[in-house]
Amino acid sequence: MQNKSKNKRLISGQMLLFEFRNTIGNPYVHIFGVGMPVLMMIIITRAVAGEMPEGPMLSATMTSIFLGIGALIPMATIFMGYGVAHAQELEKGIPQRLELFGIQISVTLCNRILSEIIFMSIAFVIYFVAGYGFAEVESPSVSGALLYMVCILVLSIILFCLSHAIASLLKKFGATYCVTMILYFAQMILGGMMGISYDNMPSPMQVAAKLLPVTYINRDFYTVWKGEHYNFVPMVQSYLLMGAVTGILLFVTVRKERRELH
Amino acid sequence: MLLSIQNLTVRYGADTVLSIQSPIEIAEGDRVGVIGSNGAGKTTLIKSILGLVPYQGIIKTGLKPEQMAVHMQFNEYTDSMPVKYIMEAILGRKISRDKKLQELIFFFEFEDCLRKKYTKLSGGQKQRFTIILVMMQNAELTFYDEVTSGLDFETRQKLVEKLVEWYQGKDASFLMVSHYYEELDQLADKLLILDKGHVIDYGRREELFRRYCGRAVIIVGNTEKNMTILSEYEKLASPAHLIAMSCESEEKENRIVRLLLENDINYKRSNNDIEMLYINAKARADMTGATVHSAGKEKYAK
Repeated sequence: MQNKSKNKRLISGQMLLFEFRNTIGNPYVHIFGVGMPVLMMIIITRAVAGEMPEGPMLSATMTSIFLGIGALIPMATIFMGYGVAHAQELEKGIPQRLELFGIQISVTLCNRILSEIIFMSIAFVIYFVAGYGFAEVESPSVSGALLYMVCILVLSIILFCLSHAIASLLKKFGATYCVTMILYFAQMILGGMMGISYDNMPSPMQVAAKLLPVTYINRDFYTVWKGEHYNFVPMVQSYLLMGAVTGILLFVTVRKERRELH
Repeated sequence: MLLSIQNLTVRYGADTVLSIQSPIEIAEGDRVGVIGSNGAGKTTLIKSILGLVPYQGIIKTGLKPEQMAVHMQFNEYTDSMPVKYIMEAILGRKISRDKKLQELIFFFEFEDCLRKKYTKLSGGQKQRFTIILVMMQNAELTFYDEVTSGLDFETRQKLVEKLVEWYQGKDASFLMVSHYYEELDQLADKLLILDKGHVIDYGRREELFRRYCGRAVIIVGNTEKNMTILSEYEKLASPAHLIAMSCESEEKENRIVRLLLENDINYKRSNNDIEMLYINAKARADMTGATVHSAGKEKYAK
């Protein structure tokens, strides 16, 4: 029973390394989580640079675009990448196999979310290097940088739980891929990353957009980045709403997956 | 007592796939072979014990889930890394620092497979991989669900030899589902016979053999000549290509053997053949329309 007690630790080096290898073994996260945001950021900032005169307005717009597209990284690496990978594993019965070896779901989840965050951090480093190399990104205030990190981190955790719940409820790779892809693009469109800014959206779309954290990250984060005064209430409300929906779905998932033991 | 099952019912929709009425008890050191055709409820039984399917009834055990290990019929692992890392993560230890694990890897001749990804392993290697992990759990009760299914004859034999060697002199209990009677012949000391979700019988192999086949059986090929020579003897149920006779006494056995030798007929004698036992238990259950286990063993005590 020696190995059992070791596996009871919520985070362990071996499990973390295992989950990290699992994360980087998923091609989706490299394509959509690293390649696509960098490429989008370069293309859009270049396009903007071609249409605007040099000056403080250009760097502010570029920084705003840069920060907004950054929100794609957790959405792609964690929300889509993890959701799809988890559905694939569920189809093969891998999580249940691990559980039968005495590895509790909580252990798998804790190590997985940590490994996803580590991968996402690496993706952000690449993104920032590319951003400072190819676009005129303004330096943040200390509070702005910290708040950006916190907002991205909290969003990542919510998205992780949401994708876990979606995959666990749907159980099939195809269905999970379809739902996460729709939600991914819906967040991109409503968040104002696909060409239509919040102000140009029809009012029903604006109502939906206001419910999503990505809208605030994309639209308003330049103000926070520069350390200027910002009313966080609507943004916090959107986080709370997304967190509550995720919490309910996760609760249903946990209840459904519970083993009936004697 | 490690585990007891009573009044267990498992339903998939409107279908009852498993119904165990009389108690089934697995004691420490028991090595139980579970036999029955497809759809008999063998895998469902394991899944209900492990809490993987909803059930009604009582499954009593003092064992915690982690004190039970299982080799499922289908075992899948991530393919994003070599199996070495999967093994280390599941067991929570480095192979290089664990002597027991190294011994098991050596015992199952798995050293050259450690760098491969799971899908690149052959069927036998995949089975051995899970067996190593299961054995490292050092569980009080282990379940093996068709551990050799899909393997060629040689690989199957080799794997069973390894399992026999591994369990020799050990006090571990297991419940093994198999369609290969020769495997259970080497590994099981008790048998649980299932058919269409019902228990036909459960008990020690020797007792069951006596109940359904007598003291011993003599088996010969099913030819017209053999049928004529042995016409005066009552036959047991047997596969179509064989004739089987029960030898209730030594005297009867000697008479049959003498007759076979006089006629130069090849024969096989057994006092524990699981296939004959199963066929006759099933035939008797089919004939009476009731399961022996639930109908009361005394009915067939003679």
